[in-house]
Parts: sequence; structure tokens; C-alpha cells
Amino acid sequence: MLTAGCDIGALTTKAAVIRDGVILGCEVVRSRAKALQSATDVMDKLLGGLGIQYGHIDYCISTGYGRNLVPFAQRNMSEISCHARGAHWLAPSVRTVIDGGGQDCKAIRVDGQGKLSDFRMNTKCAAGTGKALELMARSLGVEVSELGPLSLQAKEPVIMNKPCCILMQIEVKRLVFEGRDRADIAAGANDMVAREIMHLVRDVGQENDIAVTGGVAKNVGLVRCLEKYLGVASVRFSVDTQLIGAIGAAVLAADRCWEAVADRSGDGATR
Amino acid sequence: MSAKAAIIDDSGPLAFEILPYTGFPQEAATAVMGKVLARAGAAHSEVARFLSTGFGGKAVPHSDGAVPDTVCLQRAVRKLNANVRTVINVGGHSFTVFHIDDTGGLGESAITDMCTAGMGMFLDVVSTALEISPDEMSGELSLSGKPLFIDNQCPIFAESEALSLINEGYDRCDVFAGVTSAVANKIAGLARRLGLKEEVAMVGGVAKNRLVMAILEKNLGLRFADLAGIDPQVVAAYGAALLAREGCSLDNQSLSSTAAERLHREGKP
Repeated sequence: MLTAGCDIGALTTKAAVIRDGVILGCEVVRSRAKALQSATDVMDKLLGGLGIQYGHIDYCISTGYGRNLVPFAQRNMSEISCHARGAHWLAPSVRTVIDGGGQDCKAIRVDGQGKLSDFRMNTKCAAGTGKALELMARSLGVEVSELGPLSLQAKEPVIMNKPCCILMQIEVKRLVFEGRDRADIAAGANDMVAREIMHLVRDVGQENDIAVTGGVAKNVGLVRCLEKYLGVASVRFSVDTQLIGAIGAAVLAADRCWEAVADRSGDGATR
Repeated sequence: MSAKAAIIDDSGPLAFEILPYTGFPQEAATAVMGKVLARAGAAHSEVARFLSTGFGGKAVPHSDGAVPDTVCLQRAVRKLNANVRTVINVGGHSFTVFHIDDTGGLGESAITDMCTAGMGMFLDVVSTALEISPDEMSGELSLSGKPLFIDNQCPIFAESEALSLINEGYDRCDVFAGVTSAVANKIAGLARRLGLKEEVAMVGGVAKNRLVMAILEKNLGLRFADLAGIDPQVVAAYGAALLAREGCSLDNQSLSSTAAERLHREGKP
């Protein structure tokens, strides 16, 4: 059985193809203006590389912010369900998923079967998101990808107390001018964002094990801050964590197929 | 963000200067001081006393002291219009509402300093994304629109929301008018929470936005007090200059005790 998942995000579009419980391949492209273009791009690239025809795919589920604009997907599902399923499929002990994206952040609870049981999401404030990290990195004069490694060299992390990413950015600018060590500032920035994320985790209720996914999971400093507040180490994944939504969509697509097969054989038995 | 400076002598204001900046407050302070001195035709050595205020007030080089902006605003507004009892101050990253009592002292105050919703920065972020210049923002553009409803209170989300509305084909002016009206309603909310005692004055950079002012007047059901035609953005700088002038005529000890008392009343150590 061959299934695909396509995760159309605001910034990047991801796709994954799985066959009988094994990942065949994954691909990431930059999102285009139209969701359909992004989805076509990523699927063409992925299927082209694997030498698979589109018609060979049994079931495809789209997810992400452009999920309802993908005509070739049989179904679309929320990225929250996909992240829950994907993280649980890759690491079955996972019960809480922290998914930090560019402009959103979610704390998701998963049951033993990988089904979404509850979640919290930031709806009013961007302080616990990748955007906050991006703005602070800009003020610090580094790439957002450098924020994690840089923060690990900190000796006395600064303490930031403005829970607003615009005000945090200005605070960072002031600290830079005061001549504070850049590593200390980077560590303070990560800590601030981690504290914002923890509000969501505490609200939904923490249950171990915990997976950190999405773009913010790439920031090793931020993950360490989260682990400090969580009191446990997070689950490590062998795949790029930004692919987990797409992988989850492909796994959910396989689940659908199995359900359909079961239904059909059930029908046959009654007949 | 901008740095503002005011120079006054015994007879009154000599010069005001506003300098928008993106870099560090210390550099902006030095630059704006240079400009205002040039405009007043004075040398730095002629300045008897120099006080700083605002978000980067403590960072200003060569300042004789940093005073809270609320104290500066109270002093300036009292001087400009003695009938004002409520001051709404909305700048780039400041958002305060406070009362002035009948004796001219500071009364109750409400401050938002943990969130950018309602601040001028909100308009900055969205106008940059929509490629609207500050002139357009306070000019005709803001009056032309039928405001769309903007749901988000966070500038980051409002930016995305505004851009999606543009992509859906809505007029950029109407989108921006919607953003402006979201800011105005947020300001009205905080002002109402503290309570409005007339007359009410609006100061800070956002007071230059005609649409914000129009929506606020309608929403609050009042006309804003006249502040003798001063640029609303320089009121705090003017107040700092007035405080500096008062400081010159006082001995140092009484100045520091009154300053300490004011700081205490403002609730900031």
C-alpha cells in the first residue's frame, strides 16, 4: 500500500510517501504564493526522485494551512491531528507533542493509539513562536539558525521579562548596545520563548514522553530550556522534525486505507 | 521609533526636533540633540540642565538624569492646558493613560507595557508590510477607507491577516483603515478602564494619526483638548525640558527629593 502526506505550511511545504509502514522518501520546498503550486512542486519533486507515478498512490491526505486547496488529495486533515499521529508513529511512547512553528505554537496530547486527545494553541500572541526567535536573532545580528548553538556558550543568561515579541526585539537591541555577551542574550531569548511555550504545555497537561517538533525544535538551546522546565529529556527523532506533519498525514492516509479494506472485507462477510 | 528633543529658555520653547531611527537609542539621542541645538542656534555648553525620558531614557549619554515619561507628560500638559484631567499617551512602544488631579498632580494611571496591542508599533509593523509610508498613514489614506474588521490584537498576526485580505483583493486603504480602527478601539478600552475625566488630551506619535483621533473621539464621545498647537509627539520631551528648567531654580537636594517622590508615586523604583 502506497500513501502520501502533503503539508502545505505558510513558509515551507513538505511531503512524505510511505509504503507498508516504511518511509520511502520526504521532500521540503519553499511555499509559493498559491497552495496548489506549492503542493504540486513538492509532489513532483518527491515522486520524480522516487520514480513513482502519481496514479500509483493509493491515498493522499493534505494538511497545513493550504490543506483544503489541494485537489489531488482525497482528504484533508488538521495539522494538529497529523503532528500527533506522525510523532506517535515515529516514537510510540510519545503522549505530549510541542509543535512550534513560525507563527503558531501548539501543545498536543496524544492517546496510546496516536489519536489526538486535546490541544492548546496560541491564538492571540506570537511571543512563543518562531517569529519571536526570528525578530530577536535579527536584533542580535545572527541567523535564527545560529541562536541555538550560540546560546549554549552562555555563562550568565540574561533574563527577559517582556512577553511580546516586538518588545523582546527592542529589549535585545538595548542589551546588545549595553555590551552584554551575545551568547548570554541568545540564551535569554530562548528561555523567554520557552517560558511562553510552557504556558500552553501546563494548560493542556504534561504527560511523558514528550516530543518537540516544528521549526523551533531545530533550536537546540530552546529545546534544552524546554527540557529544563519539563523536567525530562524530549524524544529524539531520526528524521527532520519539520517533516512530522507530512509523515503523520501519510500514516493517517494508510490508516484510512486499512479501514477501507476492513470495511470491504466486512461487507463481503455479511454478503 | 523616534527620538525627540526640546530646548526651552526662561521665556518658552526655542526648538523641537523629531528623529525617526532604527538603530540604537544612544546614537539617536546624540543625533537628535545635535539637530535641536543647531535649530535653536545654541551650543551644548549653554544647556544648563538636560533631562532624558522615555523608553531609552536611561541610555541617553550626558543626561543629568532620567525621569519617567508620565511625569514629563503631566508637567507639559499642565503647562499647555490646565483644564486637562485625563491624558492618553500612545507612542511607538508606550501606552499609558493617567489622570491629573485638580491641584495639577499625578492621579491614577494605567500602563500597558507587556503587549504591543494598541501601540504605535502595531501600525508601523502593518504599514511596513502593506508598503504604506508614515505620511500616507496620517494623511489622506487613513481617512479614505471603509474600515474592514481586523480580528487580531498582535501585530505579527495582524500583519498576516492584513496581507491575506490584500491577497483576497481588498483595497489596501480599507485594510489599513481596519488596522487603524483596531488600534483606536484598543486605546479607547484602556482609557475607559481608567475612567475619563474631561478634559481629555491625546499625546504621543499616534495622536498624529487623524483616523485614530476621529475614531477615538467618536468612540469616547468627546472632543480632545487643545494643546496650544504643539506637535503631540514632542510633549514628553517638552515636559522633560520644563522639569530641567525647574531643576535649575531648585537646589539639588529638593530636586532629588521631589524626583524621588514622583518616582515613588509612579510605582517605579
